[in-house]
Amino acid sequence: MPPPLNDLTAAVAAGKRKDTARLTQELLDSGMEPQKIVEDGLVPGMAIIGEKFKNNEIFVPEMLIAARSMKGALALLEPHLVEAGVKPEYTVVIGTVQGDLHDIGKNLIGMMWKGAGFEVVDLGTNVAPETYLQAAIEHKPQIVGLSALLTTTMPAMRETVKLLRESDQVDAKIMVGGAPITPTFAEEIGADGYAADAGSAVEVAQGLVAA
Amino acid sequence: MTGRERVNRMFMRQDQDRIPRHDSFWPETIARWQREGLQWDQSDALRLLGSDFQVLCWAWPAPFPGQREVLDQDDETETVRDDWGGIGRFWKGRSGTPEHIGFGCDSPEAWHKTYRPAMLAAANQINIPLAVRRYREARTLGKWTYLSGVEGFEALRRLIGDETSLCSMIEEPEWIRDIVNVHTEIVLRWFEDLLAAGVEPDGLWIYGDMAYNHATMCSPAMYRDLVWPSHQRIAKWAHDHNLRFIYHTDGRISGVLDLLIEAGVDCLQPIEAKAGMDIREFAPTHGDRLAMFGNIDVMKMTTNDQTVIEEEIRTKFAAGMATRGYAYHSDHSVPPQVSWDTYCTIIDLVDRYGQY
Ligand code: B12
Repeated sequence: MPPPLNDLTAAVAAGKRKDTARLTQELLDSGMEPQKIVEDGLVPGMAIIGEKFKNNEIFVPEMLIAARSMKGALALLEPHLVEAGVKPEYTVVIGTVQGDLHDIGKNLIGMMWKGAGFEVVDLGTNVAPETYLQAAIEHKPQIVGLSALLTTTMPAMRETVKLLRESDQVDAKIMVGGAPITPTFAEEIGADGYAADAGSAVEVAQGLVAA
Repeated sequence: MTGRERVNRMFMRQDQDRIPRHDSFWPETIARWQREGLQWDQSDALRLLGSDFQVLCWAWPAPFPGQREVLDQDDETETVRDDWGGIGRFWKGRSGTPEHIGFGCDSPEAWHKTYRPAMLAAANQINIPLAVRRYREARTLGKWTYLSGVEGFEALRRLIGDETSLCSMIEEPEWIRDIVNVHTEIVLRWFEDLLAAGVEPDGLWIYGDMAYNHATMCSPAMYRDLVWPSHQRIAKWAHDHNLRFIYHTDGRISGVLDLLIEAGVDCLQPIEAKAGMDIREFAPTHGDRLAMFGNIDVMKMTTNDQTVIEEEIRTKFAAGMATRGYAYHSDHSVPPQVSWDTYCTIIDLVDRYGQY
């Protein structure tokens, strides 16, 4: 008897790395489709995490641990997904804008997007507008995510949005976030979406790709 | 009234002539202000503000003091292995904390084998003669003097990185406790050396950013378990030596205010407005036990609009001053979008609304 998918969801949400890996392997061994394991086992686990984080029921450490568990499980599943020809439906490119080195928030967003089944291309920190543009042309993402933690790097965010908008080779929605970013600023610079935290970021992104 | 008397009276919630004052500035801000009329450097801005505080030393124990090996560089940045064994990328010719690329101390094994013994064996890195000189000078000027340094949270971040420290709070709590303990032990040992050299400071001002815009990085329960004991130890040491304990943290820390008070923290700084901290809310509830230092919103300052700034200063001063336990500081550090004209106006406003 394979373990119920619920157990896997619970293990991810609790950040139990070993249990998550073991349950994933058992489900695989039982012949379950890898895609089903991701969609009905892992993704709901990360959704629980996002919701709890939003409500301050869990904090950054729990979130990171859950993401690590998810990553471990995905590593086991990846060869099977490739074999089955399953590719993530959506790609996102994410980075912290030029002049800014803060990456904890950006990493959490990336992990949550990965947890929601997106392919995530992480450009790192201090990313120049041109680098975003190149990556957007190369990876053809549905979403480009920009993070800024300094009021002094908000202009770089504005500039990046402008550059992406001006290119006729980029057809991505743009999401922004970070401590000093407000919905008003997001709108003002022409971003398509804003999220205040890693939980909401998934909902907003899903809304954008569905639109 | 001297600055020293003023600050001490603030801690005792006794009347003062005016609220104590201090502030911090980004280096870029000072560079801008120098173009706009500031005569000298940051100390000149503090003099015009009428700062009551004087730092004597900075304590952040590193395992390999003085190590600085350049591994790589480009036009803007330089990649260096530092005193903590970590690899970081530094800006050339402008301010900004390094980006941590890798950490030598990346496991409990590395800590126990190399970093822990090195930290414990390293000599006191405080410049004691300088601290003594500053102390004598500050005393004649009537300043409130303090010893400064970082606490366990900040030490963890620098030594093992944000992600490892946060994950290890769950997966390797003993490791985290040990690093925090060893760090605290060394800082207090250094401070003891300073006292032995004849310095009699008025307090400690200890830095540790344990929160961000939404909450504390870790849960209050985890803070209580892993880091709080070190805060309590610092407070006890301070109080045993008749010193006050100012604790600096960014972010939204409403969830741990009571724990900080229980640990023995005497004063909270800088009380970040952008993170939703507002002394108008909690000076009435906590101001009798916790002095409040700061909270004047730099985002309001950056509007360079006197009406906005005046409202901020007037209402927050009123809330803070009602407890007698309030001192002026921006809610972190003044960024370069604030003009020198605006800051001069701020000094006037602090003067006008900060009189008892
Ligand atoms: C940790 C920290 C650092 C660390 C960063 C370590 C790292 N690896 O990232 C270090 C010590 C290196 C650092 C350096 C500096 N810092 Co700093 N730092 C912080 C601190 C305390 C917490 C930030 C954090 O990690 N939060 C935790 C994560 C989980 O939250 P978050 O980043 O906000 O992300 C969440 C949301 O914003 C959102 N989000 C974030 N990005 C994105 C992106 C998208 C697309 C979406 C949808 C959502 C989203 O979701 C995330 C998860 O919920 C903040 C205080 C604060 N209030 O934020 C100051 C803060 C950001 N720093 C500040 C400053 C001034 C600096 C320095 C300039 C200081 C200096 N003089 O050295 C340097 C700048 C270096 C540089 N060039 O970038 C100021 C900025 C003020 C201003 N006016 O802009 C702050 C606000 C402190 C303050 N109170 O003033 N810092």
